[in-house]
Amino acid sequence: MTYAQQKHMSYWILVLPGILVFASIIIFPVLFSFSLSFTTWNGYGMPTFAGLENYRTIISDPVFLHSLRNNLLIVVISVFGQIPLGFLLAYLLHRSMVRHGNFFQTMIFLPITISPVVVALLWNQIFSSSGMVVALVRSFTDNPQYVIRIFEDQQLAIVPILFVLLWMHTGTYMIIYYANLQKMTPSVLEAAQIDGASENQMLMRIILPSMIGTIATTAIFAISGSLKAFDLIYAMTGGGPAHFTEVIAIYMYVNTFKYYKYGFGSAASIIIVLLAVGLIMLLQYFSRRLERRFE
Amino acid sequence: MKMKRLLILAFVSFLIPSLLIAAGTKESAADGVIELSVYHYLDQTDKTTAPNFQHLVDVFEAANPDIKLSFEYGYGESFHDKLQTMAMSGQLPDIVLLYPGERTSQVTSAGLVKDLRPYLSGHEDEFADMAMQAQGENGEIWELPEDISITSIMYTNNRLLAELGLEYPKSYEELLTQGPVIRKAGLIPISIANKDAWPMQSCVAGMLVERACGMEWWDKALSGEASYDDPEFVYAMEIIKELNDKQMFSPGTNQLAYGQGLDDFVNERAVYLLDGGWTVNSMVGELTDEQKTYMSLESFPDIPNQKGQSLSVSATAGQGFGMNAKLNEKEAEAAWKWIWFYSGPEGSAIRQQYGRLPAYNLDEPEDADPMIKKLIAFAGKVPMGYVMDSVIAAEPIGTFNINLQNMMFDTMSPMEVAQDLERMVSSVGR
Repeated sequence: MTYAQQKHMSYWILVLPGILVFASIIIFPVLFSFSLSFTTWNGYGMPTFAGLENYRTIISDPVFLHSLRNNLLIVVISVFGQIPLGFLLAYLLHRSMVRHGNFFQTMIFLPITISPVVVALLWNQIFSSSGMVVALVRSFTDNPQYVIRIFEDQQLAIVPILFVLLWMHTGTYMIIYYANLQKMTPSVLEAAQIDGASENQMLMRIILPSMIGTIATTAIFAISGSLKAFDLIYAMTGGGPAHFTEVIAIYMYVNTFKYYKYGFGSAASIIIVLLAVGLIMLLQYFSRRLERRFE
Repeated sequence: MKMKRLLILAFVSFLIPSLLIAAGTKESAADGVIELSVYHYLDQTDKTTAPNFQHLVDVFEAANPDIKLSFEYGYGESFHDKLQTMAMSGQLPDIVLLYPGERTSQVTSAGLVKDLRPYLSGHEDEFADMAMQAQGENGEIWELPEDISITSIMYTNNRLLAELGLEYPKSYEELLTQGPVIRKAGLIPISIANKDAWPMQSCVAGMLVERACGMEWWDKALSGEASYDDPEFVYAMEIIKELNDKQMFSPGTNQLAYGQGLDDFVNERAVYLLDGGWTVNSMVGELTDEQKTYMSLESFPDIPNQKGQSLSVSATAGQGFGMNAKLNEKEAEAAWKWIWFYSGPEGSAIRQQYGRLPAYNLDEPEDADPMIKKLIAFAGKVPMGYVMDSVIAAEPIGTFNINLQNMMFDTMSPMEVAQDLERMVSSVGR
């Protein structure tokens, strides 16, 4: 064996364990899940080929459609709620428009450091039928039958969860924007100020355009995170009552691990991936247009 | 030389993962002690059941120093998720907690556990008949039931009833008339927490189906000769709807986590509690001695046009331990020792003291807690029907549970709930 051949072989030997690990824990499960989505399989024996039947069943299932609607609402609250609010808070702190900035920074970021399960238990303790708010209203109104009905409304039951998600994740975006704002050269803003630019002009003409890339990246995080939302909702409501707060990840989990429909669950997970990719591509299209406009 | 180094490097690269994998495999100890892995359903944070179970383990290990049990625990859905994963990956523990009905049928029907009949032979009569019913298609016994689970007991606070000038209702209509009186006093008529969706099915629906339809209909429905959208079944659903519409259940019952129902009853905010016999286990510790004197166990009152047995309850033989089909003779003998200890006379006597209703026939203990005595007396006098989730497959029953919530929110009618169950059962198979 020549030296060049030995060198070539050594590369392979050194890289092979990494490739094997990557293939076994990333590539294989993805391909396996994709191929499984065209079968019916309960975990034992051989899967039976079912063509597109799983996809057809999912798309015509009202529970899935309601879950999809809930997921899209989470995307909306993330992209149009958490991101603008996070940016606004970061901007206020960066421009020193509020006193005790460090205190507010810590307070706003605090929720993200708490486990989603703890957050879910905390909010349940406050708002559930056996929670603090209901107990207070019952004692003040002398109505022992009082419950917060929004949790039992098919269309509105997701709203309290959207609020908790907003409360919980805004801090993350605030920190990202705050860090990026600090990276901006202060002399640019100072020069603008000397030239007589107003606060609004500086925001719209200097700060926002320079943050487009960051905003696009955080929006990608928000979309992908929203579509796979699971832990907080599962701990808060389990998707209930009566599927009212169910999201696609819970739909997938229940079908896969409770009813042992691995093919069906795989199809649901592939739909999540396709949705995420589609929405992110759409976002990238718009962000590129915006970037060109500001260039 | 370089080639040699490369070969050594390659060898080490593969050796390390191999060693890591080998470290996880089970081997019997050389000193004659048989080590067995056990997977059990237990909430380790529960201050009642966890120490009670540990006591049983301690008693067993003291009597069997040649057997070492290594426990792994799961609770709630995660127990079943993990069991499924272990079974699929061929890593089923030596001893595993199983259910007699459909809940763990994916493990039992796949031939992964031993049939216990050869070990049990000669002891069958020592158990309640219900516990010895076949669990497999050919009469197999996959697990030795530890308890009889009565799932629909109407726990009654007789002190509150007397204060309100009421008596335990003799009929369903009388129960409904009590509702406004109880609510006017600021109390909950029937405490039940249905956030998890299974309590309404397990503790109410199964019992009402037997009442409305009768056992003959039930058996026909299970074999496909009767349909779940028959008028009798729809009638049972209508009773649940009526109870809900007339505010007989806990306010916001579908928002209340399981446990809240018991909490409201123990703290005397509710006159009745609809729950399973397993709740006595908690009541032993939660109720004061004085409370135990006026709390009673009753059957839900008979409903109009009832076809089923008077004052019947829904009940099933409970879960129990089974053993891995791969165990060799020596390991299987050791595993059986634990299973027999746990569900046989010795373990059952201990569990009875803790408030359980063992499947093994025991004399009523004289020194038992009053609530346990009441449970034993209650079990001895009531006729029993099926618990729905023990006779219907997981997916139809999971959908049915959710549909009951839908019915209570008026997003489904009783007829639609019944039709959907029939459709699901027909598609999945009876």
